Amino acid sequence: MEPVTKGKADGPQWGPRDAMTLLNHNLRRVDGPEKVSGRARYTHDIRLPGMVYARLLLCPLPTAQVELDCSAASKLRGVFAARGLGGKTSMKTGFLGQPIAVVAAETPELAEDAVRAIQATYKALPWSVTPEQALSTEGGKVKDNGNLGKPATEGDEDKFKKAFDSSAAKVEGEFHIPIQHHCSLETHGVVVDFNGGETATVYASTQGTFTVSGDAADALGLKASQVTTIVDYMGGGFGSKFGLGVEGLTACELARELKRPVHLMMTREDEFLAAGNRSGSIVKLKVGADSEGRLIALDGDVMKLGGIGGGAFNKPQYAYSLSDSKPPSQDEESGKPARPSKDGLHTSIRSLYMHTDSSRAMRAPGHPQTSFPIESVIDDLAYQLKIDPVTMRKKNLANEVHPKQLDRVAERIGWAKHPNKTAPQEQPDADGTKTGIGFAVTIWGSHGGAGCECKVAIGRDGSLQSIVGSQDLGTGTRTYVAAIAAEEFGLPLSACTAKIGNSNYGNANPSGGSSTVPSLAPAVKSAAYKAAQAFLEHLAGVVKRPIEELEFRGGSLVDAKVLPDAKEEKERKAGKGPKALMTWKEACATLGAAGISGEGRWDQSLTHADGVHGAQGAKVKVDLATGRVQVLQMVGVQDCGLPLNRTAVESQLNGGMIQALSYALHEERVIDPALGLMLNANFNDYKLAGCQEMPEFVPLIDEDDIGRGPIGMAEPAVTPGHSAIANAICNACGVRLHSMPFTADKILDGLAALAAKGGTK
Amino acid sequence: MKAFELIRPTTLDQVLELLPKKENRDRVRVVSGGQDLYTEMKEHLAEPDQLIDLKRLPDLDRIEVDAAGTVTIGALVTIAALAEDLRIQSKLTVVSEAAASVASTQIRNVGTVGGNLNQRPRCWYYRHEGAKCLKKGGTECFSKEGLNKYNAILGGGPSYIVHPSDLAPALICAGAEVVLVKKGSSRSVLLEKYYTLPSEGDVTRETVLEPDEILTHVKIPAPPAGWRSTYIKFKERGSFDFALASVAAGISVDKEVIRFARLVLGGVATIPWRVPQAEEKLVGKKNDPASRKEAAELALRRAEPLSDNEYKVALTKNLIERALAQLGA
Amino acid sequence: MSLGDRTHVSRRSFLKGAGGVAAASTALGAAQAFASSPQVERMSGSTEIELSINGEKRKVKVEPRTSLLNALRNHCEPPLTGAKLVCNQGSCGACTVFVDKKPVYACMLLAMDCIGKPIATVEGLAVDGKLSAVQEAFVARDALMCGFCTPGFVMSVTACLGKNPKATREEIQKFCSGNLCRCGTYPRVFEAALEAGKQMQGGK
Repeated sequence: MEPVTKGKADGPQWGPRDAMTLLNHNLRRVDGPEKVSGRARYTHDIRLPGMVYARLLLCPLPTAQVELDCSAASKLRGVFAARGLGGKTSMKTGFLGQPIAVVAAETPELAEDAVRAIQATYKALPWSVTPEQALSTEGGKVKDNGNLGKPATEGDEDKFKKAFDSSAAKVEGEFHIPIQHHCSLETHGVVVDFNGGETATVYASTQGTFTVSGDAADALGLKASQVTTIVDYMGGGFGSKFGLGVEGLTACELARELKRPVHLMMTREDEFLAAGNRSGSIVKLKVGADSEGRLIALDGDVMKLGGIGGGAFNKPQYAYSLSDSKPPSQDEESGKPARPSKDGLHTSIRSLYMHTDSSRAMRAPGHPQTSFPIESVIDDLAYQLKIDPVTMRKKNLANEVHPKQLDRVAERIGWAKHPNKTAPQEQPDADGTKTGIGFAVTIWGSHGGAGCECKVAIGRDGSLQSIVGSQDLGTGTRTYVAAIAAEEFGLPLSACTAKIGNSNYGNANPSGGSSTVPSLAPAVKSAAYKAAQAFLEHLAGVVKRPIEELEFRGGSLVDAKVLPDAKEEKERKAGKGPKALMTWKEACATLGAAGISGEGRWDQSLTHADGVHGAQGAKVKVDLATGRVQVLQMVGVQDCGLPLNRTAVESQLNGGMIQALSYALHEERVIDPALGLMLNANFNDYKLAGCQEMPEFVPLIDEDDIGRGPIGMAEPAVTPGHSAIANAICNACGVRLHSMPFTADKILDGLAALAAKGGTK
Repeated sequence: MKAFELIRPTTLDQVLELLPKKENRDRVRVVSGGQDLYTEMKEHLAEPDQLIDLKRLPDLDRIEVDAAGTVTIGALVTIAALAEDLRIQSKLTVVSEAAASVASTQIRNVGTVGGNLNQRPRCWYYRHEGAKCLKKGGTECFSKEGLNKYNAILGGGPSYIVHPSDLAPALICAGAEVVLVKKGSSRSVLLEKYYTLPSEGDVTRETVLEPDEILTHVKIPAPPAGWRSTYIKFKERGSFDFALASVAAGISVDKEVIRFARLVLGGVATIPWRVPQAEEKLVGKKNDPASRKEAAELALRRAEPLSDNEYKVALTKNLIERALAQLGA
Repeated sequence: MSLGDRTHVSRRSFLKGAGGVAAASTALGAAQAFASSPQVERMSGSTEIELSINGEKRKVKVEPRTSLLNALRNHCEPPLTGAKLVCNQGSCGACTVFVDKKPVYACMLLAMDCIGKPIATVEGLAVDGKLSAVQEAFVARDALMCGFCTPGFVMSVTACLGKNPKATREEIQKFCSGNLCRCGTYPRVFEAALEAGKQMQGGK
């Protein structure tokens, strides 16, 4: 085994996995004790002397001419400010829940009084809040040139038709995918610590510590260098929290006006209406396969529903490749996509705009929406052709990773023994239920980005600090920032303190697109390596040995020539062993008061994040009497390169499957078109999966993926689960749902329709 | 929540003095656990100027059983205490199962029997301050032509709310009556007569309770011999949710023949919905699949589903059959 | 459904109504005109009350409408911010605390409801800085991600095991079903609870 860090190595390298002492192991989160004890302070928890509580007033109509009179509100006891946003008293709004005014008061209770005391008159303008409205002539116009955006098209419709006509199996379907909400438990918001002086601190619940200070400084009338952004802890973001936002900007303006600290966290209702969402879609698919199960024709017509925003969608064929529609010849290897061809492909994707808040990035933007229709269609085709859906998938995935992953999922979920692979269960079990299994795959490419800067500092007192401005969304960033540095010296995790979430520390990219790990880990590794080299160089002078002869092992400085690790361990147990040249404490004590440090930047050679793959399977039980779908098990295999912390990777994979389960069974924004009201802007009516919905989860790290550096895997983990559940439902009871979420009413209606058609019940 | 005055009486007489006249009924509200009322106040659906807190009243937090087997439950008994009471568990399964099915652990620890019976309707139009619906003194029930998958299929018109209480169907199944007290008098009302259809009387109310009255006790007579009962609740989400449909069922069986039956539906009607015709049909029959099916069909015969809640008809029938099947032959 | 008419009528009437909330003092003044009884305790406006929190008496200035959660988070000095404000309607459990030793939603009680009752928050679980068995198990089993739901789950699991340290996974799921998590820590929470239950049994 290689020691962790040698003097004068060629440069930072992750090294062999079996030599690792922390990385690729199961680590306890370093911030766990803070979080379980209530000591972790989130933006929401910041309390400052003289601080006022601000609150937004949202427009209750989708689009309106608004006149504001804030005079009564301003005069209320304990109220410091009440005014229209941007100082306006008259404005035209463009989406349901658009923030229009703000108040600030001594307590949250008084702030509520103030916001309700604002006299607002609203003249409703014609609106469109549902696709039907947006497409109708009666609906209000969101954009001057119509509500339907310009389509992005690919392929030739005639060629598609030809291929479709020649298909042995054909499926057509229109899929409805609702708008989903991020539902970060900590709402959006900031606390601005400013008293009118030369500097300000902005505590922000953000995924981008470095996306805040600049805009905040403008609003505060300061220079960016005078504003520090702190994100010590943050309660979830999932893609919705980049930049200062209207709420942050408004808080900064108020702080500037009042020369007081301002606390502005959105309410839960504000969060539902005005803090982004995952766009919905309406997807029409026509797909044809040849008799061997190869996809040869696909027409996809997609409308993205992103409110006033464009929405997100991937390629309708998603991870799958189309084949040439000519019949394959005898000598072609079966099970592989024969002659990849895009001839049969014709797709059109466009946005349909509505008077609702803009969709934002949400964990794998566009991917879950894309996954559900195509994965459903693949199962339908497989059933028609009586081809095992796992085999069917393998035939149409033009890569070597997915097939292996599918096999692993199938094995773990018990597919081989599953009796009904291409048809629903015939007779219900004694308890009136039917059981089914479904599969789906995921892709992602989580490139790292340049710009991350980390500093690893060793103090004369023996302290080791790993310092980078990046924030921890709950993914475990703080833990691996410490672990990478500690491992460099063979020290335990507890020996290193991670300092993160501060714009005065090294620059870091925003946490989006699973890019944090591939951006940040290389920078930390480089910094740790450089710090180790600098320290060794210093120690070489102290012990008067060439640097090549020195290395850190188990936190001590040792002679690199003495005994490899395994033997060393035996020797140590035998009470002998190589004597450390210096213990860590002794070595650190030789440093000057400033200690020694290394600074690292992103290094492309330390990450290889292209082509991320995953596969998931779900086993469900459908109660025929109630339509209840009970997920029994979810299995996910995910490649993730080098797992920095195996526990955290598995937790992320669980988290992805759980969010997909919740999306599958419950989540949907409901807006009444006639009233223009969101009917479920709260956690009672917008349902998240809870404890009782949780099946057994089997998160599996793809152990074949050993050649690559660390890869972010949060996004791919969330993509396929709901599609696997949809397929499992159909496999159980024969109901193919085209509309999410898969609630009891839809299952019962589907069962009734099947019964009416003389299908099984 | 709008500011209010909190009044904390310590005797029933004090409470009765404080209760409002009709014209002030929205300005003075009575609260026990507050688990529904506080949400209504947070949503500004209720904005009382005075809140009369009953929690310091003595003796209303007890469950008592007399020699005749009559159970008396004080209005301040928490739902958790009711669910955990061993006497109730052994004699009145339907009631303890219903109590255990209410909301969540945290709510059951605070919410009271009186509060549960008097909670306001579920309907997302009613619960949205922005929708000035019939129930809130407006002119239209938006669910009738709106998004109504959760709304009533029975007892609807002109409002289509569902009554969300789990305890009410269970207690009606057990033949409970409620004691209503006002200054100088009290009355007992059968719980099934306590609730009012939207078509009878004031559409903005759900019960016969007068503004100057409070509900102090629930009394349950000793169940008939051979009585078996159960409550099954079907929720869209297994965790913490209201019923899409629920069934409180009780039967007395003697020599394999049903001698007495009670069936009450929850979550599907504007009031807890007893189905006497179905009950009658069961009497004299064996509890077998055929009679269960017949009863279920009869129970839903008058169902009038709206655009999005047809599924509740089949669901409720299935639940009735399942509940009866659970009671055994 | 037609797109407009009924909407616009009812919308306007609502908006007119919502605009003019009377100042609190006026409303209270009017309320005093009826039903007054001198010996009955009445609380209005901002009032100092005493709460017993984690075994300590704390003086807190609150209004009748101040929730226990807001009292802890915004009116206590120093503040107790372990319990989180997430749904503000008793749906998510992030504000779970114990009142009278029972888990409750702090957002769904008035601070004044808790006068004279012992209140315990997540900050009080550790004794002399030593985490409780439940807290330890949460850390050991990675039963936390962003951590915002964690204090509430820790309290619910503590209550569940306090009742029955032998609780099965299913019983834990049922007991804790008034708590929500968005990151997806549920399976780890159940593992942690089972582990802590074992610890607690072993310790007895």
